[in-house]
Amino acid sequence: MKRRSPYPIVRFILLALYLLGAIFPLYWIFITSLKGPKEIYTMPLQYLPSKASLASYRKLFSFSNFSTYFRNSLVITLISSLLAMAVSIFSGFSLSRYPVKRTKGILQLVLYFTQTIPTFIIMVPIFTMFTKLGWVDRTGALMLVYVATVVAFSTIMSKGFFDRIPTSLEEAARIDGCSMFQSLWRVILPITRPGMAAIFCFAFINIWNELFLAVMLLMSNDKMTVPVALNSFISKAGISWDVMSAGIVIALLPTMIVFGFGQRYIVAGLTEGSVKG
Amino acid sequence: MMEKNHYRWMLVPALLFLLLFIYIPVARGAVMAFQHYNLFDLSTLRFNGLDNFKAVITDKNISFAQILLNTVVWLFGSLIFQFVLGFGLALLLRKPFAGRGLYTAFVFYGWALSGFAIGLTWAWLFNGQAGLVNDLLIRIGILKQPIGFLSNPRLAMMSVIIPNIWYGVPFFGIMLLAALQSVPNELYEAAVLDGAGSVRKFVSVTVPYIKPTIVSTILLRTMWIVNFPDLIYAMTNGGPVNRTNILATQMINKVFKEYDYGQGSAIGVIIMVLLFVYAILYLKIVEDSKEELL
Repeated sequence: MKRRSPYPIVRFILLALYLLGAIFPLYWIFITSLKGPKEIYTMPLQYLPSKASLASYRKLFSFSNFSTYFRNSLVITLISSLLAMAVSIFSGFSLSRYPVKRTKGILQLVLYFTQTIPTFIIMVPIFTMFTKLGWVDRTGALMLVYVATVVAFSTIMSKGFFDRIPTSLEEAARIDGCSMFQSLWRVILPITRPGMAAIFCFAFINIWNELFLAVMLLMSNDKMTVPVALNSFISKAGISWDVMSAGIVIALLPTMIVFGFGQRYIVAGLTEGSVKG
Repeated sequence: MMEKNHYRWMLVPALLFLLLFIYIPVARGAVMAFQHYNLFDLSTLRFNGLDNFKAVITDKNISFAQILLNTVVWLFGSLIFQFVLGFGLALLLRKPFAGRGLYTAFVFYGWALSGFAIGLTWAWLFNGQAGLVNDLLIRIGILKQPIGFLSNPRLAMMSVIIPNIWYGVPFFGIMLLAALQSVPNELYEAAVLDGAGSVRKFVSVTVPYIKPTIVSTILLRTMWIVNFPDLIYAMTNGGPVNRTNILATQMINKVFKEYDYGQGSAIGVIIMVLLFVYAILYLKIVEDSKEELL
């Protein structure tokens, strides 16, 4: 007889520790946002607030234009993610089916190389370029930059998904008289829907979280995005943690929701392209 | 022939985006590194050779050696723990258990969060007045008075590395778990038949099989950590006395505070060259070790 291994218990304890570590910082910022401004700074700290209050959130939305910033972020993120998804459906499909091997290899190199370029290297040249074009402080221009920052990885992901679909499927559609676009639209896209969802989620998360390009390229207060607004809460005098904690919670929620729904697809997509974290 | 043209056209939008907003700006940035380019005084815009690099490296207020050292500590202090903890998590998750799907969603979701907001969250946890870490340490009896983790020069770097480890574990967990699940079971069965124990199985089957994933994720994460100023920017912005100032945050400061685009771009070029050399050396070492094994 084998003696009973202690592994299951050790494993259980370790998994519980990981879970605690992953959740606790976020639990803490959430709890802070529900405390009153006095309770926040009183030691010893309350690990469960005596009574939940929404005062910080009310303050957040009344003293700053936070609902405007939230709407800006949402509009910018949704439009540029959808655009990035559309662009990379075509580029990924083309790359997956491209007939010339050498060109295909070069194109992939061009895509992978972008993953090593830090965003802040392109920040200044884009700013000077936009100054000349009169595009500074234009939401639409920022959206174009955002599409560009995610389109390489989205293409790599999308190519991976199309690679799994046998070409015989579109060939059959072609024989039935479909054009290439029709066969892509009617036959192939419907079966790669999870893949497209992954691309959308990936783009959404990256664009929603972007700070420095938005700080650089947007000027007017009423155009600011959520990260830029949080950045503006940091003042020389310090940070009011009641309002800030509420702001952080609101900033984190959308990507948490997107990750919650799209987790399975995102994991598949990430490992497909096995690139950027 | 028609066919091929269709495929070409479908690539045009994506390539246009990359050309206009990534590749041309990168090239322009490389040129700027050799120009005197200050937003306050554009009339002095001219080529100045290596002056920007000299100015950055010989800066009297901010020692370049210190920034390089900080970058190295920040990189390896984060990377090693991210990898070890991420790998550990992936190993724990390899075999199915009830509720694994839900569990992974909860431990992996840090990947999707904003680095800047996470930095702010940890700045609050490490707060010197009423931070949770202070409160916990006082309760346990290690501390008597709250201390300023982020304002103490000796503790600041550790206090920004810990959140970065927290932030990076899900990425390694996701990637390595997927790799682990691709290891064919027959390999383990064969190893067991040969009398291998669990350590032996891990060293001789698991690690060699997923080595390509390990090599590529470590390289990508290295570039990513070096190019990730968001968290430090949110927590200390390089302070106190430059103890957490890395190349990336120094570049942000040159651009956002001093408006010196020439010197900022010079730092950007330095980062890219260093990473390029690092990548080549790293891949060379990995190649050589493969030959040794054979």
